[in-house]
Amino acid sequence: MTESTARAKEKEEQEFFLRAEKITKVYSDGTVALKEATLEIHPSEIIGLLGENGAGKTTLTKILSGLLPPTKGRVISPRGPVRFGSPREALDFGIGMVYQHFALVGTFTAAENVALSHEHPFSTIQLADTKKGLEQLMEESGLHVPLDVPVEKLAVGEQQRVEVLKVLSRDVDLLILDEPTSVLTPLEVNELFALLRRLRKDGKSIIFITHKLKEVGSITDRVVVLRHGEMVGDLKTAGATTEQLARLMVGKAIDVEARAVELTEEELPHRESARVEEMKSGPGILHVENLNARGDTGKIAVEDLSFDVHAGEIFGVAGVEGNGQTELVESLTGLRVPTSGVATINGTNILGKDPREIYRLGVAHIPENRWELGLILPFTLAENAILGVHQWDEFKGPLSFLRRRKINQHVQELMERFEIRATGPSAPAKSLSGGNQQKLIVGRELAKNPDIIVAAQPTRGLDIGSAQYIRDLLVEMRNNGRAILLVSADLDEVLALSDRIAIMYEGRFMTIALPADLDRETIGLLMGGVTAVKEGV
Amino acid sequence: MSSEVTKSSSRLWRATGRTLTGLNPALESVLAGVVGLLAGALLMWIWGYDPWKAYMAMFRGAYGDSYGLASSAARGAPLILTALTFSICVRAGMFNIGAEGQLYMGAIAAVTIGYFTLPSGLHITAGIIFAMIAGAVWSLVPAILKLTRGVHEVISTIMFNWIARFLAFYMVAFILVDPMRGEKTISIPMNARFPILVRGTDLSYSLFAAVLFAIVIYFILWHTTMGYEVRASGFNPKAARYGGIKSKRTMLTSFILGGLAAGLAGATVVMGNPPTYAVISGLPQLMNVGFDGMAVAMVGRNHPIGIIIAALFFGGLTAGGRVMQFYGSNPVPLEMVRIVMGAIVLAMSIPELFRIFPAIKKQGTELFSLLRRLTSRVSHKEGSA
Repeated sequence: MTESTARAKEKEEQEFFLRAEKITKVYSDGTVALKEATLEIHPSEIIGLLGENGAGKTTLTKILSGLLPPTKGRVISPRGPVRFGSPREALDFGIGMVYQHFALVGTFTAAENVALSHEHPFSTIQLADTKKGLEQLMEESGLHVPLDVPVEKLAVGEQQRVEVLKVLSRDVDLLILDEPTSVLTPLEVNELFALLRRLRKDGKSIIFITHKLKEVGSITDRVVVLRHGEMVGDLKTAGATTEQLARLMVGKAIDVEARAVELTEEELPHRESARVEEMKSGPGILHVENLNARGDTGKIAVEDLSFDVHAGEIFGVAGVEGNGQTELVESLTGLRVPTSGVATINGTNILGKDPREIYRLGVAHIPENRWELGLILPFTLAENAILGVHQWDEFKGPLSFLRRRKINQHVQELMERFEIRATGPSAPAKSLSGGNQQKLIVGRELAKNPDIIVAAQPTRGLDIGSAQYIRDLLVEMRNNGRAILLVSADLDEVLALSDRIAIMYEGRFMTIALPADLDRETIGLLMGGVTAVKEGV
Repeated sequence: MSSEVTKSSSRLWRATGRTLTGLNPALESVLAGVVGLLAGALLMWIWGYDPWKAYMAMFRGAYGDSYGLASSAARGAPLILTALTFSICVRAGMFNIGAEGQLYMGAIAAVTIGYFTLPSGLHITAGIIFAMIAGAVWSLVPAILKLTRGVHEVISTIMFNWIARFLAFYMVAFILVDPMRGEKTISIPMNARFPILVRGTDLSYSLFAAVLFAIVIYFILWHTTMGYEVRASGFNPKAARYGGIKSKRTMLTSFILGGLAAGLAGATVVMGNPPTYAVISGLPQLMNVGFDGMAVAMVGRNHPIGIIIAALFFGGLTAGGRVMQFYGSNPVPLEMVRIVMGAIVLAMSIPELFRIFPAIKKQGTELFSLLRRLTSRVSHKEGSA
């Protein structure tokens, strides 16, 4: 028996296609994205790579596909160690990756796009060859796309198939797909899965990055779970339960929750009263009913949401990013026109109004992207400090002249109150550190004296000190009777701060509950889109 | 030894790059001016002229005496305004090259005041207002096309420049033509002309109009909410929208302000430029004033105060160039001045090149390491074989 298993093991080891050994990746800013991750890939295998945002899934696959060099560790093929200096080298070796954001030229046809990825893209002979090759490949793989139509005219699912074709045409053995289903309709997902199964039968290996537990169950042979850069699980799909996977993915609570306990010691009565109040009272400061909104691609992003955020409460929205949180926030702050529904602030309708009117109603918005939305980087601190309130009488004098002295005074106050470290009001915003930039935004928004604060990813990318400072500020505002809608991909943060939690998945709230009523396993399941808790994989 | 050399040369290279990237915008412009003049000198030398003599003649002609200064300023005045047209739109994040056409329309509109009489103060005001409105209306069409149909402003303003040009030709030849002299339009009446500022020169009070307008634009852009919104959407349209700014309105505002400036430029040329005080057929006094304004705007760093200085420099080049071409022993053709102008505009992009240089450098090192790996692999293979 031992001999046969040993032989089987040996055989298996010989058969592996690629092995990543103890890969560590430290980014130049000091972030440790991967810690000694080891992954073995065999032929004819679909591996699900599961994890939350920032777990290291993308980093690992980028290293495998030659886009990033590892800091430590090595990649081994049966013929010895390999090192990819670029995606092209990885492609030559037989590893291809399909990214979430397609790398296609919209005005080119599918054939031209594929030809573009080859050695001599601009020769006509090559294009004819490519087309012939593609037709054969489509026949073999059962993957059909119109070759002579500009890809921008194709549906998203078809565009994805062009990307897959592009990689397959390079004769790869390992195909890496980054969240391939996030842009697809259910029908397209089925087609993709059928294709992946066919490819598996042909001996290809596939790495499938996802956070959706259901998909892991239906398509993969093996699941590898990453959490905070560490490989916390590597198990056969057949033997795994969804609960097990959810637990692995979300993990145990870390320091933030300990901190939250400390916080709630004194605030506990407040939490209780908020709870009672919530049960008694009707509509909150923010009232949302049957809200629907579409994303940029036209796909439904927010589906039939109804909820209330009350005074003195932090309403946390947790979930893996890209499940409609951005669209929800944009709909409520005037940056996106929802397709239907009702949303009111203190009884006044806000849907379809522009941001300026909505701010007037007492809304503060801490946007998820401080460089793109929150700040105008070449502007000075002073100019940034009045963005959105520059039309208010406080700062606007006769003939619409800006009141320089008032503005500078305002900035000085912000800098003192919110501990913004900068050389002065006329320093450009881009000269500030990330933490100080975020403090500037938060300070500006809180200084509006709002009734409700919409905070999207308020602590993303910040050092621990700044992040904690901003969390404390939000709690302080809550205790002062403001309503807060907190949207964050950081589950620990949402759990620590929120009085009520909603878990968002594909545009819907899977549940709205008190943090005490949710254990982490349930949260993991809900974030992965699984409602029935006692369901096996 | 050789590594020492490489090291020190790379250090020098880096230091140059750092100096150039950290360069003050004003210094960059000065540097560009110097490079442009040097390029012109090189060409003069190649063609057998004496650059030193030529430049001496040019600068004496431009800034050497009060006559030279006055004619430099007279040439600079309309350039200030057309440069503003370009700059305001750049500040709003657009590339409006329609100053040329708006200038023609302003000039044509100014001529029409010759058909009626008003008290002198009112008459001149009427001319200015007509011209400014005409410029603004002409800029409004590309603006509306952009806002409603998404037509890119570069395309539409270029087309509108041509429409304006031939419309102006037509107006000069058939509608506004002077019945006594067919080659020009009727003249602006005496009491509607900008008074001459320096006796015996062609510098009129129109210079004050231009400088005043530049200062007004400066205050609008940097000290009012309107300018704040324009600049905000120019730098970051998304953040501006987040800040409750309607980008369509700021686009419209900047187009209208630009049109007003270009229209006023038309008025200064027609109402403040002796001896004709009319539009001559073929538009020689107007031709290229709008396009040269773009060069002035670039050298003036799209800042009204910088533009005033840059316009005086470009005006000086034109005024001095006229002297240069008649300078006895060394008559350098006027076209050389245009070469200098072109070289200056090109030189403006040098610091930008150095700014993107780190990227170029990175590519270079990557390529180098790839080559090294390839060669080592080849030698490795040979060794094993």
